[in-house]
Amino acid sequence: MRWICSRRIERSPQPPTGTASSWIGLLVLILLAWSPGTLRAESRADAALAASTPPVTLRFVSWKPDHAPVWDEVLADFSRAHPQISVARELAPHSSTAYHDLLTQKLKNRDATVDVFFIDVIWVPEFGETGWAHPLDDFFSPAMRQEFLPAAVEVGRYGTHYYGVPSRIDAGLLYYRQDLLTKYGFLPPATWPELIHQAETILAGERATNPLLQGYSAQFKQYEGLVCNMLEFVEGHGGSLLRPDGTGSSLSSPQALAAVQFVRDAVIGRLTSRAALTYQEPEALSLFLQGHAIFHRNWPYAWELANNRARSTIAGQVGVAPLPGFSPGRTAAALGGWLYGISAYSRHPDEAWTLIEYLSSQAVQKKFSREAGIAPSREALFSDPDVLARSPQLTNQRAVLQAATARPRSPLYPAISHLLQRYFSRALAVDGIDLAEEAALTDAHIDRLLALTKAAP
Amino acid sequence: MTGAPPVPRRREGLATWAMVAPALAITMVFALYPVVDSLWLSLHDIFVGIPQLGSPFVGFENYIALFRDPVARQALVVTLAFVILSTLLELACGLIIALVIHEQFQGRGLVRAAILIPWAIPTVVASQLWRYIFNDQYGFANLLLFGDRVTDYIPWLAYPSVAFAVVVLADVWKTSSFAALLILAGLQVIPRDLYDAARVDGATMWQRFWHITLPLLKPALLLALLFRTMDAFRVFDLVFVMTQGGPGDATQVLQYYGYQTLFTEGRVGYGSAVSVTVFLMIMALSLTYLRAIGSSLLERRRA
Repeated sequence: MRWICSRRIERSPQPPTGTASSWIGLLVLILLAWSPGTLRAESRADAALAASTPPVTLRFVSWKPDHAPVWDEVLADFSRAHPQISVARELAPHSSTAYHDLLTQKLKNRDATVDVFFIDVIWVPEFGETGWAHPLDDFFSPAMRQEFLPAAVEVGRYGTHYYGVPSRIDAGLLYYRQDLLTKYGFLPPATWPELIHQAETILAGERATNPLLQGYSAQFKQYEGLVCNMLEFVEGHGGSLLRPDGTGSSLSSPQALAAVQFVRDAVIGRLTSRAALTYQEPEALSLFLQGHAIFHRNWPYAWELANNRARSTIAGQVGVAPLPGFSPGRTAAALGGWLYGISAYSRHPDEAWTLIEYLSSQAVQKKFSREAGIAPSREALFSDPDVLARSPQLTNQRAVLQAATARPRSPLYPAISHLLQRYFSRALAVDGIDLAEEAALTDAHIDRLLALTKAAP
Repeated sequence: MTGAPPVPRRREGLATWAMVAPALAITMVFALYPVVDSLWLSLHDIFVGIPQLGSPFVGFENYIALFRDPVARQALVVTLAFVILSTLLELACGLIIALVIHEQFQGRGLVRAAILIPWAIPTVVASQLWRYIFNDQYGFANLLLFGDRVTDYIPWLAYPSVAFAVVVLADVWKTSSFAALLILAGLQVIPRDLYDAARVDGATMWQRFWHITLPLLKPALLLALLFRTMDAFRVFDLVFVMTQGGPGDATQVLQYYGYQTLFTEGRVGYGSAVSVTVFLMIMALSLTYLRAIGSSLLERRRA
């Protein structure tokens, strides 16, 4: 008997439907959270599968993509090239946490109707430790690994096994208004004090014509993205979330405390509106696209949208640089991104690999980066003239992607992340809080979780 | 003597059991089993992320840890504040609504139907609605207060106490009509002649309300209180959609914390301990209420 949750399988290309489908995703998730599951009748596709081996239907659990038409084309091309394999996509919510909860619920149930999925770079230890992801050592050959950015390949390794093939690799970047910086004679700032100085000068000059203009827009809501933003400040200040040997949390270090204090005093409510405490990526980006922010922190995908004349009022006036640090040359970017993985419970790992090999091929990555502006993970594409003609910023991004800092790598990362989110959100949002005390409390809490992982044989 | 021969006691008992069996089985499978299973899980240390740890039996360790957990303690405070505030406000609003729609007036049917609309909207949708209303850039609340002065717009949900208040407000808006419905049913069973007699004796409107309506409404009010408290304790979707517990854990309630630990973090034993604790609190509350309702019904019968 199989107990699985209500699902939505999408086979045909569909235009993006905006909030409606994310609501459906949310509803699905809530159903998932509340009900023990609904008994699903064996579908005809499954019955057909049992009768004869080929053709195979692969279930690809994906988040709702930003560039749906490109995805549809790519999957249609795959079906043409491999008539024996059909791909049924199941779309989950866009948010990483919501996608995680839906996907892992299926994996906990050893659901055989999941073949291919995305792994957020932060889940690799969890998926490796639990055995949810099929080790790709036999598929992802050393020769093939060499074709990708080393940082992107390494993030997919846990212990001695590789669990994911890089789909797209992300790092935090500083976007800025090229026109405004040029007007006031500034170069992109290398340090936060410099950024604040530039922002204050520009704001003083522009307030009269643009009263809504802010210095900075970024993501400070209590959610996963807050950890990325704060990691960049802490690392940029010479601190780190975990001690270098990974054995303990180090939020109480003077550098980490100073970085958090800086964001609390000089960023929230000053450089950026207090509203940033409610912002995830879309809200912060929208502020920048409306021309209401001089500086903006986001992932590589924002470049495409910021220069898209249909959606952005500042197209063609955008620059991108590494995020500032607290001393020149000291910069930090949070590492993000997605890997393709195969479920350990899949009955068709070979066909699943065929799909992954295709999706991560040079040609498909090139298509994604030319048509959707998605940063590639293949080394060669960073010097491909066709790609660079469309995305010249990739030349600069390569170094940032290569040097980006991973969030704590632990199979209990979701729990660690919640503690970090709570600490940072309280540090930024609650008045009169004792930072050192909160940091010490959170350190102790995270240390206990880390000790558990170590105690495991 | 009636025509039908009396059914032997034994067969009657069997028939009763046969009729009750399906309901009993369903209750066992869908209510009792999950509760017992949660209880059992909560006595073990289970981390989905570290399967090598196995699932050692740890007794009440998870509950002891829960008592010492500052996150859980704060979630308990937030939950209790939410329960008390939202329940009292809902009862007050529900009572006013019920008194209004109990009166005879033109278009009463329409008003009665309209009042149920918030209750009929799925909570997820209502939560999204309120999130938009209090949006910092294009929210209706800001438009209403400040109009074109966009520089004055307030980021409501960025302030911990305001975010909490907005979650309470959304709940009150959504469920007051349900309380009203229960109270209205209570109003309709109060005999009219009591009011007529009181009027003859010269009682004012307030006196009639205090001395007739309110005392006789006690069972209905207690029932509404019971339903609303239980529901408020289980608040989840409002928080999930509107704030995800933020900012600074100001809207972190126990149910959401339980969800996070169980589903996102994979701390099965600990998450189950959170759920069982919430369950026990709700059960204790319900039993207290039921006893109060029972005794107030008895009083009424004696009177």
